This record gives sequence, structure tokens and C-alpha cells, in this order.
Amino acid sequence: MSSYYFVIIGTRDNPIYELEFSSFRSGVSGIQVPGKSQFSPSVKEILPFISHSALDIIEDAQWSTNSFNLGKIDSFYGLMINAFISQGNIKYVLCYDANGSGTNGSSSPSLNKNDENSIKQFFTEANELYVKCLLNPFYSVNNAITSPDFDHRMKLLARKYL
Amino acid sequence: MSNDNIIYPSVHSFSNLSLSDSSRTGFGYNPYKGPSSNAITPETSNILINKKTVSLTPTSFDSIYDRNILKKVPEISLSSFSFLFCEIVNWTRNNSKGIQDLEQRLNTLGYQIGQRFLELVKTRERIKYSKREIKILEILQFIHGAFWKSIFGKTANELEKSQDIENEYMIIDDIPLVSKFISVPKDYGNLSCSAFTAGIIEGALDSACFPATVTAHSVPKEGLPLRTVFLIKFDESLYTRENLRFN
Amino acid sequence: MSKTTRYSGDEMWKNNVEKIQNSELFTLTYGSVVSQLCRDFNNNYQEVNQQLDRMGYNIGMRLIEEFLAKTGAQRCQTFKETAEMISKVGFKIFLNIQPTVTNWTQDGKTFSLVLNENPLADFVELPMGPDNRICRDLWYSQVLCGVLRGALQMVQLDVDVWFVKDVLRGDDQTELRLRLNKFLKDEVPAGED
Repeated sequence: MSSYYFVIIGTRDNPIYELEFSSFRSGVSGIQVPGKSQFSPSVKEILPFISHSALDIIEDAQWSTNSFNLGKIDSFYGLMINAFISQGNIKYVLCYDANGSGTNGSSSPSLNKNDENSIKQFFTEANELYVKCLLNPFYSVNNAITSPDFDHRMKLLARKYL
Repeated sequence: MSNDNIIYPSVHSFSNLSLSDSSRTGFGYNPYKGPSSNAITPETSNILINKKTVSLTPTSFDSIYDRNILKKVPEISLSSFSFLFCEIVNWTRNNSKGIQDLEQRLNTLGYQIGQRFLELVKTRERIKYSKREIKILEILQFIHGAFWKSIFGKTANELEKSQDIENEYMIIDDIPLVSKFISVPKDYGNLSCSAFTAGIIEGALDSACFPATVTAHSVPKEGLPLRTVFLIKFDESLYTRENLRFN
Repeated sequence: MSKTTRYSGDEMWKNNVEKIQNSELFTLTYGSVVSQLCRDFNNNYQEVNQQLDRMGYNIGMRLIEEFLAKTGAQRCQTFKETAEMISKVGFKIFLNIQPTVTNWTQDGKTFSLVLNENPLADFVELPMGPDNRICRDLWYSQVLCGVLRGALQMVQLDVDVWFVKDVLRGDDQTELRLRLNKFLKDEVPAGED
């Protein structure tokens, strides 16, 4: 059951939104609350640090490529890190553990490609949500996103794509 | 619980949450608490899986997140904007202490708009494949072209690099929208209400990691009394980066 | 009613002739102003409302001239006609929306304008806080009240305009109320700054 840690990082390297969840797609029993992240406490502690250290790599990639989606940029003891950056220098980072769901061990390339694609779509729609939030005159760049509506939509996205 | 050892988050928000606030509905990120504030609980999980509709904020049923920003933008009459802008200049003039101050305030108003428009225009562009601009020339061409067109309905007229001074560029607009209906009295000298537009450009450039200062100057030519030149002066650090990366 | 239908036809045409542009610039500019005001007055939303009203008043005084020039409208005979003119022509020309006129009082001196959409408040979500003062005190589109008040003052109608409901606050619709106080006799109103 893969768990995900998603964070939106502002222009001053500060997190403005965080979300922990696990994949909603499961038929696997034994999970009491579908969607609740299954990270162990030791992993939970270091998640912000991992995302923060990924920032260096992101900054490097930022000026080497023209694309928005940076794909998989790092891994850390079984945790993969994907990133996406917008024109306004807002970074979207997703850390997830590479446990497949209970399928046969073979992680075929096509499965990985599907994952990459769905992560990319997740990022794109998250960016759209962010832009809508930004258009609010009462929200300034680098403010925390505390709106419950935003949170709700983001979780719906997580359910849809991951 | 004493307040001495609390580490406050590095972000703040208009809505002034605090450590003790917890969301009624289970939704809503609280930066003081971190991810535990919006973790998925059995109730919220149920709501999400069954796609129930919930009312979270006063405007939940007509939420801003439902609007489609990718579709065509409605139009509004030019005079409405002009009236609003004239009144803004009036109000700013009453609050400011001189020409410089007035231009600075207009610049600040435009700055926020520039930040928003940058993200908006780029997000819209992405339907037809687009790319992120990473070089100075690229971002300037973007602003001169797609950005200007999106905001003002036409591209800017010229984009020039200053001959004498190293890191200056100029964007020239023959008929700037905002100053069309404003006439500046003589005792205001060389005030340009396009300081507002200069603010828009500055906001967009700063947002995109190209720190610059932008000023507007009125440079009339024959037949074009309103011709305005936007002088864009980039920071030194930018040139170091360009040289390292792209040369 | 024939007078207004003639204008309704005209103003559709006029709407095409008007120079039109991106309404987002307008919306974002207004939003920028409101948030700047909130910061200037340190979240004293009553003051913000008043300032928006004053700004609207100044706008309205100038706006009416353009309105009269564009439509060539004659003086309205009754307040009801005024209401029709405002909703069918005025709002259409300037904001490209068409509010509905409802809730007339018995004496015909007060009515409500219900706006189905509000270009000033696109993409606005009032920030939620523990005390929700902003939801209680701020009328985001207060400038519209000022505009109507100023414009009608220049045609010798003294009116009071205020907001009753606003979708930003969670109500089901956005509703303004106008009340005619008296007809003015050739007084020149002092501009409010």
C-alpha cells in the first residue's frame, strides 16, 4: 500500500501546504481507513527533511530544462521523490514509498509509466488548484493555504489519480 | 501549555490560525500543526470515497475552485476599467506624499496583479504545449507577446535592449491601455500612470525568478502622444546565473 | 415599457461597439484595491466599506455622463423606470451583466437588485478565521453602492443604497437595496474625497 507525502513549497523554500495520504485504490483488506497514510513514525519525522533536501536538486533542474514536470528526481532508501515546478517558482513535491500494492512482484515498465503519467496529471491539476487559490485577492504568494475547500479538492485529486 | 517552546511556522495567512485551532470538518491545513492537521480520518475518508458534497466554507457550493480558468475569458467594457483606474489614481494621490510615492504605490498595486497573471497565463498556455521560460530573452519575449496579449488584448509594440547600459531592456507600448483616459496636470511633471503596468511587469518577472526593477517613462513620438517605454533593469545576480548556465 | 425595450435592443448593439477587454484585469485590479485597503485600515472592515463607498461615489458622478452620452436616454418619469434603466441598460453596458429588479415596497420607493453574477468578485473567497469578522463586516462589492448613489445623485435623485446579501458571505444570492429619499432641486452636490 503506497503512502504519499505531498507538499507545496513556496518561493522562500517554505512549505505552504502539506498532505499525507495513501493510495485510495485498494481492495486490500486490513487497512482500516482507506486513504490514511501508512508511514511509520520514523519515516514521518524525516519527510519534511527529505523534501527540503530535494530542493537543491530541483533548483538545479529548474535552470536546465524547459519543462514543468521534473519527474523522478531523487530517491532515499526506498522513498521516491517526484517534483513539478511552475513558472512562478512554486514547487510541488511528492514523496512516496515504492511498495507496490499486492500484485505479483514484477513491476513491469508499463506499470511504472502509468504511475509517472498519473503523477504528472496529479501535479498539473494541483497546479490549477493553486492558481485558483492565488487569484483570490486575500491570498498572497507564500501564504499558507488554509482553505478547507482547497484541502478537500486536493484530497479528491489524490483519490482520483493516485 | 507554555508558549515558550513553540516553533512558529514560516508562513502566515490572512486567517490567523493558531496551534489550538482544529478544523471542525476535518478539512483545512493548519500550518502550525503540519500534516497532522489535515490527515485523513475515517469521516473524511468516507466523504472522499463516496464523493459526498460538504459545505466547508460560506462559499462551498459555488466555490472558486469549481470555476474553469481554462475557458475563454468574458469581456467587460473598457470604460468600467478606466473609471475604476482613474479613481484608484485619485485615491492613491490623496494618500501619497509626492510623485515618487504615488508611482511606488501604483507599482505595488500592479505587482500583485503581475504575480497572478503570470501563473494564470502560463497555466492556460499549457493546453497547447508550452514551456517554462528560463532565459532572460525567453521571459522577455513571453511578456512582450503572450502575456501582454492576454492582459491588454494586443502584443506590446517593441522589445529592445539598451545599447549603452549593460543589463537594461525596454518594452515599448504605443497606446497603453491604462493611461488612455488620464491627463496629467503640469504640476505633476513626468508622472506616468503606467507605473501600474510597470508594477505588473515587475511582479511577473520577480515571480519567475528574474528579479528586476521596472519603471515607466513617457516618450511621445509624433502621432503617438501616449507612447510609453518600460525600462527593465535586471539584478546583477541574474547575469552570473545566465553566464554560468547558458554560456 | 416601449422606451426600455428600445434601449434594450440598442444596448445589445452598443455592447458590441464598446471597446472591450479582458475582464480579469478589472477583477484583479479591484481585488488588489480591496486587499490593499484592508491592510491600510488594519482590518477595520467598516472603514474599508466606507472608503469603497466613497470611491464608488466619485466614479458614479462621472459614469453617469458617459451613460447618458452613450444611450441618449431621456429623463425617467417614474422611479420604476429608473430601476429598469439601471438594471437593463446600465449594468449591461458597464459590467456586461443583467441583474433582476424585485421586492418593490408598497409605496414604490424601494426595490432590490439581485445580481446573478458579479465580475468584481470572481475568484474571491473570504478568508476563514476563528472569529470570522471579515464575513460579518466586509461588503466586498460596496463600490457598487457608491456608484449607484453618485450616478443617481447627478440626475437629481437622492437614494440610499446598501447590500442586503452577498454570496461571498454564504447567502444564496447577491442583493442590493435602493431607496428613493427625495428628488433634488438643482443642487450641486459636493464631491466626496
